[in-house]
Amino acid sequence: MTTSTTPSDAVSPAVVTHGLSKRYGERLAVDGLEMELPRGVVSGFVGPNGAGKTTTIRMLLGLVAPSSGSATVLGQSTRNPAAYLARVGALVESPAFYPTLSGRRNLQVLSRLGRLDEQRIDEVLAQAELTDRAGDLVRSYSLGMRQRLGVAAALLPEPELVILDEPANGLDPAGIREMRTLLRGLSDRGVTVFVSSHQLSEIEAICDHLVMIHQGRAVFQGEVNDLLTAQHSDLVAIPEHAGDLAKLAALCNDQGKPARVDGDTVRVQAPGDWAAELNRQSMAAGITLRGLQSTRASLEEAFFAVTEGEQQ
Amino acid sequence: MLGSFSSEWVKLRRRAVLLWGLGGGLLFTVLITVFTIERAVKTIVPGEHSHGFRITVAQLSQADGLVHGFVDASTLIGIVALCLFAGATASEYSQRTLSNLLVRQPRRSELLTGKYLALALFIGVAVVLAIVVASAFAFALAPGKGVDTSAWTSSTGLNDLGQSLLHVYLACLGYGILGTALAVILRSPGVAIALGVAWVIPAEAIITAIWSNGDRWLPGQLLSALAHGGTSDASYSHSLVLLVIYAAVAAAGTLALFARRDV
Repeated sequence: MTTSTTPSDAVSPAVVTHGLSKRYGERLAVDGLEMELPRGVVSGFVGPNGAGKTTTIRMLLGLVAPSSGSATVLGQSTRNPAAYLARVGALVESPAFYPTLSGRRNLQVLSRLGRLDEQRIDEVLAQAELTDRAGDLVRSYSLGMRQRLGVAAALLPEPELVILDEPANGLDPAGIREMRTLLRGLSDRGVTVFVSSHQLSEIEAICDHLVMIHQGRAVFQGEVNDLLTAQHSDLVAIPEHAGDLAKLAALCNDQGKPARVDGDTVRVQAPGDWAAELNRQSMAAGITLRGLQSTRASLEEAFFAVTEGEQQ
Repeated sequence: MLGSFSSEWVKLRRRAVLLWGLGGGLLFTVLITVFTIERAVKTIVPGEHSHGFRITVAQLSQADGLVHGFVDASTLIGIVALCLFAGATASEYSQRTLSNLLVRQPRRSELLTGKYLALALFIGVAVVLAIVVASAFAFALAPGKGVDTSAWTSSTGLNDLGQSLLHVYLACLGYGILGTALAVILRSPGVAIALGVAWVIPAEAIITAIWSNGDRWLPGQLLSALAHGGTSDASYSHSLVLLVIYAAVAAAGTLALFARRDV
């Protein structure tokens, strides 16, 4: 397989979709998706199960034909996947391998098919920390090991773009941490990573850029930080005396900042820069605070805020 | 296409594939060869209850005597080929490995063609292995039954051997196209194999019993005629021409479906 990278490819976004849709009978799995992924960063693709993440990924890989709309990957139209797939590594849905072949032989199948350098097999097995079990039949692998073999398969062609669909599925906490390190390492080497997940905490931990999809449509895309800072943040105030909790909450509510007592703290819906004002007003009201901190909305809270807003 | 061909050979080296793919045809050929020689009689008495097909020692001593068992086993070798092609292709769907393959080789027609050619070479090895081992058994058993083997090694005998090998192999390629087409349509190894075997053996036998011209038109009957180098119902050239047409239509339809269907 021969491909070439034109100068315009190198500067264009890694993935662009325009009105990309896929209909299965009556059901619209992806609905006019507009998406643009920058190069060289880890982009997250989040949404609940059935939101259209896997269908979108399959369309980007040329496995599924769009019902309408268009997409480009590494500057090439998805109508001609052969023009770009040699530069793409992918793990689609749960990893599927030949159970009666070893991990190494499974990678050999893919390596030969793509006319790749078979020396890469040992390198990617090492990257996925599967060297010791490379000769064992895949049917003896745990789900986590299969997942890592899937990632190894995706890295075989030394890709410019890696698309991983739910790569953390089945991994234990140590495996998830290794996956995070691996993906960050790829990004540091200039590889664009597009990773889908419904585990929002994972995406928050590893992604710079985010596409949020709900019912087949993108409801947010941009920097993760931009999304989180745009959400309501909380101030958590801890009075010195527990008897001041109700008084402190009432003080905040009087200032138009919704507050509630939560254990031995008062949680106030207010931006972080209101902390100084809260401290001053508490002092004026004779309440001494022994703790005051600003908490940012999590990606999960942001996701629900965005999708609920979308439904209204 | 070369990548697909080479990649398929990694899968074909699995122990189960070697056992069933090479061993299946070999077993049937050896059994039928041994059975044919052991049941050979000096003369066939008219009206004698023969318990099935019988052959005389004189017939076996002719130049084509060596390949009688091999040719008679051709339908069973063909069934092995059908199962191999259908299983290898449909399991890519059922094991969901096809997505991985298409990411590495998005030119779908090249992927399927390379796979078919690898399987075709594998079944060729199986056919050659079957005839070599069956011939060894035939040479070992023939003297005990009074069969003269000198004609088997004559130029006519070797020519018959080569022609039978070619005819049976061509028939296997036909069974392979049938198996591949069923696999791509049905996407399940079990269903594709069951339907293929059910069509070739009982269904065509029933249709032929009802429709007297079935021998001349049905693909399974034509494949059998091709393997035998032609029969009284369907000549070799008639069988070959019709099968080439059937194969071209089946291959074009299969490639079109494989190329266009979502994975």
